[in-house]
Amino acid sequence: MKALIVDDEPLARRELRRLLAAHPSIEIAGEAGDIDEAHERIESLAPEVVFLDIQMPGGTGFDLLSQLDWLPRIIFTTAYDRYAVKAFDVNALDYLLKPIEPERLAAALDKLQATPLTARRAAHKDSPLEQLFVRDGPRCWFVPLRDVSVFSAEGNYVRMQWGQERPLLGRSLAALESKLDTQRFFRANRQQIINLEFIRSVDLGVGGRLHVQLNDGREIQISRRQARQFRERTTV
Amino acid sequence: MLDSATSLSVLRSRQGVATGVGYWALQFAGWGLYFWAQASGEVIFADVSWSKAATLWGGLCVSGFALTHLLRWIIKRGRWLSLPPRALLIRMLIAVALLASTLDVITIALSLAEYNTPVAPILGAFYRRLPPDGQRINQFVSSLIVTLIWVGLYLGFAVQRHRYDAQVHQAELAQLLHAAELRLLKAQLNPHFLFNALNGVRALIADEPARAQDAVTQLARTLRYTLGSNDDELVSLVRELEMVNDYLALEGLRLAERLTVVRDIAPEATKARVPVMLIQTLIENAIKHGIAELKEGGTLRIEAHVVNAELTIQIINPRPINAPVPSAQGTGLKNSSERIRLLFGSRASLHLDLSRLGEATAEVRIPA
Repeated sequence: MKALIVDDEPLARRELRRLLAAHPSIEIAGEAGDIDEAHERIESLAPEVVFLDIQMPGGTGFDLLSQLDWLPRIIFTTAYDRYAVKAFDVNALDYLLKPIEPERLAAALDKLQATPLTARRAAHKDSPLEQLFVRDGPRCWFVPLRDVSVFSAEGNYVRMQWGQERPLLGRSLAALESKLDTQRFFRANRQQIINLEFIRSVDLGVGGRLHVQLNDGREIQISRRQARQFRERTTV
Repeated sequence: MLDSATSLSVLRSRQGVATGVGYWALQFAGWGLYFWAQASGEVIFADVSWSKAATLWGGLCVSGFALTHLLRWIIKRGRWLSLPPRALLIRMLIAVALLASTLDVITIALSLAEYNTPVAPILGAFYRRLPPDGQRINQFVSSLIVTLIWVGLYLGFAVQRHRYDAQVHQAELAQLLHAAELRLLKAQLNPHFLFNALNGVRALIADEPARAQDAVTQLARTLRYTLGSNDDELVSLVRELEMVNDYLALEGLRLAERLTVVRDIAPEATKARVPVMLIQTLIENAIKHGIAELKEGGTLRIEAHVVNAELTIQIINPRPINAPVPSAQGTGLKNSSERIRLLFGSRASLHLDLSRLGEATAEVRIPA
């Protein structure tokens, strides 16, 4: 499994390299010392797992993740970061506290092997987004996009309806739309994109509009312009 | 801090003993004088025998002594001095009435026993022109006056002492609060630093055992200094800088070539006394918000000079140009600045200058 080590401290990278030497299943494809470098290496090396430090010059590990469209599997490494550890608890992600214990590392790698990759790296340039790392205030989530019912434009950003959570995503609705799975998501109007699998019922409205009711009871209007496409897509 | 708190409580207990002695002295002197004046007056003015006069007034004064002491016990036991004035007044009026009446009854009883007349002869001699009822009223009034004098004196002293104790207690509390504040404001070693250093040491053990050994020594010294810093408020600059050197060596492990340190310490500055862990805190800030945020790192400058009996320390570091005006940096700096204020008052200052692009200067001025 190809791995990338991201840490601004050379000694910390050296230490992790040594610890990983005991695990032949992990092939260290490269290292990065800051988030720009890491972004570039993730694009070019296509690692399957990234060991990611949180505090780095020029931006944190979280900043890196929220820039990525395609997420490799992430194992955080941190020396002492109460804030970060709290974020992980919400997410049930794996993280390693430095100095890293070899047994703890082995357990994290076992867990890694057991969970299948959600997206195939080979097709990643064109394949639609499967999940996103979202950071809203002090909380962080890996959000599987198939579980999001509605994306609503909020200024230049996007508010996602994901179960009970409504995190804000730092991208525009247009930018997001171009990367979403068109089989699953549909632009209902200028403001909203809906998840077709969340639709409970569709009613005819005035002037060729459609009223869509979602599983969570929410009502969305499909504009006249989009209604025809919607009919074609769903053969209502 | 501990010393001054102890000496305060010693002072307080001495004060307590002193007022105890004072009470007994006044109590004996007061009743003794009253006995002497009344008994001798009775012999002179009423022409009675000393033994009878002494028996009457001796009995009365011993009773008075005992009864007023009982009243004092009740006042203390019931914490009357902590009561609101109205409640105290009501209790005092009842106590005065009871005490005066009891003394009056005792005077009548003793007088009847000694002289077969309800009015003591000295009072009879003084008020001989009054009818018997008037004499008896005046005898009660004299008991009342004695009681009032006792209560007045007692309350006067006790209230004053109560107030004094409250003041001492207040001062003691303020002192403790001050010490606690200083303790709170004193910087602790950042756990992030600690675990990163340990991680670095772990990495060095296999490849560079000699460097690993140095690092462990530096870490031990840094920790010892931090733990010991609970005891002292001020240390010599040279001692603080020794610790800072260890600290910087450990930060150098993790930042490697990104950290360069330049020192300019005037020899006369090294003896100056500085708040313990103060410079360490400033250096930690300079690294955390400055050099560690820069990919290429930078040079940290530490300067110390004494001019006109004032020590000036400057920590100068590069920082990211687009960095926001720090708010997170706030607490460490605010605590340091508050600590300096508590230790030196307005004679010292701590100032962070971010006016130059891509550079931060922390400046401390304290009396040398």
